[in-house]
Amino acid sequence: MEDSHQPSAISYQPRSLALISLRFTLHASRFTPLRFTLHASLFTFLVLFTPQAWAQTGDASAGKVVYEKKCALCHGEKGDGNGPGAASFDPRPRDFTQGKYKIRTTPSGKPPSDQDLFRVISDGMPGTSMPPWTVLSEKDRWNVVAYVKSFAADSFKEAPKPVELPKEVASSEASIKRGKEMFEAIECNKCHGNAGRADGPSRPELKDDWGNAVRPANLTKPWTFRGGGSAKEIAARLGTGLMGTPMPTFIDSVEKPEDIWHVANYVKSLAPEKPNFATLLSVRAVEGAIPDDPNAPFWNQQPAANFPLAGQVIADPRNFNPSIDLVTVRAVHSASEIAFHLTWDDPTNSKADPKAKLFADQIALQFPARLADGNERPYVLMGDGSNPVYLLRWSSDGGVGEANAGGITKITPQTGEAVQAKGNGVFADGQYRLVIKRPLNATDPNDLAFPVGEFLAVAFMAWDGGAGETGAKMSFSSWYYLRLEESASKRPYVIPPLVILLTVLVELLVVRVARRRG
Amino acid sequence: MRTVWTGLALLAMTMTLVSGSITSVVAQGAGSIVGEVKFEGAAPAPKVTKVNKDKEACGEEKKSEDLVVGPNKGLKNAVVSVVGVKAPVPKPATKPTLDQKTCQFQPHVLLLPAGSEMDIQNPDGVLHNIHTFSTANPAINKAQPKFKKVMTEKFDKPEVIKVQCDAHSWMLGWIVVHDHPFIAVSDAEGSFKIDNVPAGKHKVEVWHETLGKMTKEVEVKAGAPTKVTFELKK
Repeated sequence: MEDSHQPSAISYQPRSLALISLRFTLHASRFTPLRFTLHASLFTFLVLFTPQAWAQTGDASAGKVVYEKKCALCHGEKGDGNGPGAASFDPRPRDFTQGKYKIRTTPSGKPPSDQDLFRVISDGMPGTSMPPWTVLSEKDRWNVVAYVKSFAADSFKEAPKPVELPKEVASSEASIKRGKEMFEAIECNKCHGNAGRADGPSRPELKDDWGNAVRPANLTKPWTFRGGGSAKEIAARLGTGLMGTPMPTFIDSVEKPEDIWHVANYVKSLAPEKPNFATLLSVRAVEGAIPDDPNAPFWNQQPAANFPLAGQVIADPRNFNPSIDLVTVRAVHSASEIAFHLTWDDPTNSKADPKAKLFADQIALQFPARLADGNERPYVLMGDGSNPVYLLRWSSDGGVGEANAGGITKITPQTGEAVQAKGNGVFADGQYRLVIKRPLNATDPNDLAFPVGEFLAVAFMAWDGGAGETGAKMSFSSWYYLRLEESASKRPYVIPPLVILLTVLVELLVVRVARRRG
Repeated sequence: MRTVWTGLALLAMTMTLVSGSITSVVAQGAGSIVGEVKFEGAAPAPKVTKVNKDKEACGEEKKSEDLVVGPNKGLKNAVVSVVGVKAPVPKPATKPTLDQKTCQFQPHVLLLPAGSEMDIQNPDGVLHNIHTFSTANPAINKAQPKFKKVMTEKFDKPEVIKVQCDAHSWMLGWIVVHDHPFIAVSDAEGSFKIDNVPAGKHKVEVWHETLGKMTKEVEVKAGAPTKVTFELKK
C-alpha cells in the first residue's frame, strides 16, 4: 500500500482530500487509534482550511460553460449520452440523467462521490473514447463535476459513504491461489471466461441498463480496465460493481471478506501491467526442425513481441470498434525455413455464416513484395499498384495461404504449387495460437525472400469474424521492422579465445624484444 | 411505581380499543373486489429460449413468462390495485420470498409491502445476480454465487421494479412494492380478489408487464363482493 502503487488518480493533488479519504475509508482497519486520530484531524484540517475546499462545491453554472464546449459533443447537451458523436462509440458515452455510474467507490445503488467523478474526468477511462481531461484546470473539472451532477440532482441529494473494503491483502502465491479458487466459485468465468479473456458463455447476451450490447473486460489486458488495473482498483470494482452494467457487486458475495483481495490479486496476476509494445521483430536463428504445434513448449521459450492493432477507418466499410487490438508474435528461422508464431485474443472460434453476418476469423502478415532501397514502404493498407505487398495469412475455415495484393480490394491468392506456406492454428479459452511457416527463399517470382541480417518491413492485420469483421472491416498495425538474426554460430566460442591467444603472443613478443634490447 | 403501571395499563387498553374500533369500522364498511383479467385476442405462443449454460440447474429450455394466457383466456401475473386509498399494510404472515429455482424468478410477480424485508433464494448451485431497474428505490446489482443461498433486501418506496439476472439473460421478474393493502396478482385463470376495500366508489387499475395499464371505476358495497373484469389486448 505504498504510494508508488497508488493509481495515478491521486497524483494530481498529493495532499488532497481524495488521498486522505481513500486511505481513511479503504484502510481504516490498518490505523492505530493514534494514527487514526492524526489522520482524522488532518482530514478535518484539510476540509476546513485548504484551498481544495471548493472542490466540494464546484460551480455548476461555470461547469455548464465548460461542459457545453468539451463534453456535449459525446454526452449530449441534455446529458443524456446522445451527443452528435455518440452513435459511433462502443461503449457509448454515459447518460448522466439516471445518476448511474460505473466507476465508483460507493455501494451498489448509490451515486458516485464527487472525487469519483473528478477522478474519471481527470484520468479518462482506458479502453474507451473518454480521454483524461488534464487540459482543463482542476477548478474547471470540479465545476464540470457539479454540472454533471445536476443532470440527476435527485440521485445526488445525499452524499454517499464509500464502500468499506476489508484490510488489503498483499499479493502472494497463497493469495493468488485462493483468488483463483474464489474466481471459480463466484463464477467470474460466466462473462470473463475461464482464462479471463472476455469469452464467457454469457458474453453475447450482455446488455447495459440502456439496452446496448456491452462486452465484459478482458482480464488479461488490465491497461484497458475502465477504472484502472491496480489490485486496489480491481478490488474496488469487485466491491462496488459497475452500475448500469451486468457487473454486480461482490462485497457480500464472497466466502470471506478478504476474498475480494485474493480475487483482485489473482486477476492482477493474469497479465503484466502494460503490454510493452515492440518496435522490432527479431527472428531468432535456430537449428533443426521448427515445431508445427503452436502449443509446443519450444514457442514459450522464444521471446515475444507485442504489436498494437487499430480499427481500419480509412476505407469503407470502416471499423470504429475493432475486436482485436493486439497480436503477440514470436519468430524463428532455420537454415531453410522461417516461422511465425502468432497469439491473439478472439472471444469466439467463428464458423462462417454470412446470413448471420458471421465470418471466418483471419490473420495476415504483410510484407513489401520487393525489397526496397531506403525507408520507402508500400501503402500500409495492402499497398497499391506500383508498390504491392506479399501476404502470409490464415483463416479459421481455409487454413494457411499466401497472396499478393496491390490494394485492399486487389488481393490475388496464390494457388496450387505456388503455396509453400504451411501452418497450424488452435483455439482455446478465447485465444488463437498459430504457427505459419515458409521456405526462406522465394520459390516463385511472386514470393518475397527473407535475407538474413537485413531490416525488412512487416505489418499485421486481423479479423474477428464473429464480430462481423471481414474484408476492409478489420484491425491492422502500422509498419514495423523485422530482422533475421545471424545464425548462432560457434564464433563466440572461437574468436574471443583466438584474440586472447594472439594478444598473449604479441605481448610475449614485445617482452622478448624489450629484453633483448635491454 | 404503581402509578406508572396503572398508566401503562390504561394506555394499553386505550390502544386496544382504538385499534379494535378501526378494524370494526373497516369490517362494517368494507367489501371485496373479485374478478378476472382476460386477454383479448388469440393467445400467442410463449417465446422459448434454448438454454446455453448451466443446463443441469436450468434445464434445456425456458418459456418466457411475459405473457401467460390460461384456459378461458385468463391472464396470469396481472397486478390489480385500488388507486388512491390509503391504509397501513399488515405485516405479511410469511416473509416475501423471491426464489430463483431452475434459473427462473418465482413468483414471476412478487408483492412486497414497502419497507418489508424479502428473501432472495438461490438453490440452483450456480451464480445468479439480482439486477434491479428501480428509480424510486436505489437500483442494485448484487452477485449471488452458488454458496450464498439467501440474500435479504428491502425496498422502501412503492414502485414496480423490473428484476433481471445478467448471468441468465432469459430471467425476468417483477417486484411490486406497495404501500397499501388493496392489491392482488391474478392467478393462472386470471382471477384475483382484493379484500377489505372501504365501501364507496373507487378507481381500480390493472397493470401487466407486456400489455400495459387499464383502469375501471367500481362501487364497493359493504359486506358484498363487487365483480369487475378487465380485458387487455396487445
